[in-house]
Amino acid sequence: MNVAIETDNLSKTYGMGIKAVDGVSFSVAAGEIFGFLGPNGAGKSTTIMMLTTLIRPTSGTAKVMGIDVVRDPQGVRKTIGYVSQDIAVDENLTGRENLRLQAEFYHVPRSQIGERIREVLKMVDLEDRADDLVSSYSGGMRKRLDIAEGLLHRPKVLFLDEPTLGLDIQTRRRIWDYVRRLRDEHGLTIFVTTHYMEEADSLCDRIAIIDHGKIVAEGSPEGLKKALGGDVISLKVRNSAGEICGDGVGRVIEKMPFVQRAIAESDGIFTVIVRDGEKAVPRLLSSLSESGITVDSITLKRASLDDVFLHYTGRELREDGGKSEFHRMRTALRRARK
Amino acid sequence: MCLLTTCEEGGSPVGSSTFLHDTWWVCWRELKHFAGQKVRIVMMLVQPVIWLTLMGNMFERMAMVPGFPAKSYLDFMAPGIIVMVTLFGGIFGGLSVVWDRRLGFLQKMLAAPISRSAVVMGKMFAVAVQTAVQGSIIFVLARLLGVGFAAGPWGFLFLIALAMLLSLVFAGISLSLSAVLTTHEALMAVVNFMTMPLMFSSNAMMPLDMMPRWLRAVARVNPLSYAINPMRSLFLSGWNWQELAGGGLMLLLCASVMTLVASALFERSMA
Repeated sequence: MNVAIETDNLSKTYGMGIKAVDGVSFSVAAGEIFGFLGPNGAGKSTTIMMLTTLIRPTSGTAKVMGIDVVRDPQGVRKTIGYVSQDIAVDENLTGRENLRLQAEFYHVPRSQIGERIREVLKMVDLEDRADDLVSSYSGGMRKRLDIAEGLLHRPKVLFLDEPTLGLDIQTRRRIWDYVRRLRDEHGLTIFVTTHYMEEADSLCDRIAIIDHGKIVAEGSPEGLKKALGGDVISLKVRNSAGEICGDGVGRVIEKMPFVQRAIAESDGIFTVIVRDGEKAVPRLLSSLSESGITVDSITLKRASLDDVFLHYTGRELREDGGKSEFHRMRTALRRARK
Repeated sequence: MCLLTTCEEGGSPVGSSTFLHDTWWVCWRELKHFAGQKVRIVMMLVQPVIWLTLMGNMFERMAMVPGFPAKSYLDFMAPGIIVMVTLFGGIFGGLSVVWDRRLGFLQKMLAAPISRSAVVMGKMFAVAVQTAVQGSIIFVLARLLGVGFAAGPWGFLFLIALAMLLSLVFAGISLSLSAVLTTHEALMAVVNFMTMPLMFSSNAMMPLDMMPRWLRAVARVNPLSYAINPMRSLFLSGWNWQELAGGGLMLLLCASVMTLVASALFERSMA
């Protein structure tokens, strides 16, 4: 197995002792699509910024294609493509001019620039609009252009930070199709962060979940779901007096022999992880009614990556965190400026 | 060409040709922005006309004061206007960094295999080119309004070179500030605080002899004076080598120092 990315005890401590990333070690094989998931503020962006040489690690090491990010940042920069979540395309230039600029920044040989630009434009379906100013592009088109820029110099490793954030479902699907093709046809290694669990599930060969700066789980989506134990029951309950139940009920549920884990979500809503869902539901219902608890609703489903995430972080991945709030504001500002 | 061959061989293109290449492409982007701003270009033509006609008329009678160094106030003020426009153009150069940071474009450039100094110098050079364009426009307009110019065509080139050096000094100050002050508001506040006092404590609009004693002392150390004195001598008296060499060398020194300071601050803040 050729290793594309390797970190060893990678850490970043900001001023006032805030540990954004705390001893992270993982490796990504060449040609792999590696998903990096975590709640807002878990250390995803900090990790990606260290791997792309934008910030210096406080301690530990990271290597991309065998090149150390601290010892030879220029070497790393040449090897990687980085598409940040900012959609950093220059709207005062045309699509083609943006690509030209990127080609020059990455020292693509002059004789190949024209051809490469045509190639990536075709890949992201922007040939028709290449000579229009980017200010006339939609959000999805800008993102596609941004990704095209990341591919222009034929990097060996592509870093995609939230590539589908804020895009509509069709565009998201298209972008994931590109990403998959890049891997299949060009053997690119892809390191991706996303908020969308179902996307990570269908796309990534392997994922790591980071929380509070530490990796809490790592493996294939399938393996992680299996490790969780299988089925997930969601139920809404109240006690005989009609009051909403709290943690006490959670402890009651967790004590049942067929239950692996019970997580209290909010006002009487619980997620219960069980081994054999079909058999567990009637047993759960009867046990609860014996304890004087009324079940308002109950659903059973196979474990998804969402459940895996919830299991390890105790939180659901939600889009409305502080960071995306900031992002939305910034996007709104950008629109207002026009 | 040697740059291209090293790239093709997969080696790392290093050395000054790559640095110039990177600097040029950062600059190219800025100049594209500049050329795309039609309103700004129109204002660049309109503004000096207003300054020259309005201010020139308003203070016309100052030229009658005994000892006034020029035939008309307009003659005296024309180089002052060039310096003023250069000051404003240069000192707002850092704003593009703040915007780029906000839009994520700065990160994009920093993630590319170009040096941080190339980003700084590309932006500074773009400011200098814009200053050359603006300075030339004002020069032509001033001549059309009857302002004399004693130094001839080569003097014009020297005049523009001085303006470009001055713009590099202020662009350097502005970019240095933008490495430290990351918000638009903070940068604007500091820059606005600096410009007017700099302008009015110089001899751009008023001869030194007509200033109160204390202001004269300030004006003598004001960096703007190093540009105004040689520029004015080109307009009024021709090739006054003492003024030209003194001011030119001082500006060259200041511009070099500010380039180094801005690059160093960028390297440090973006490490």
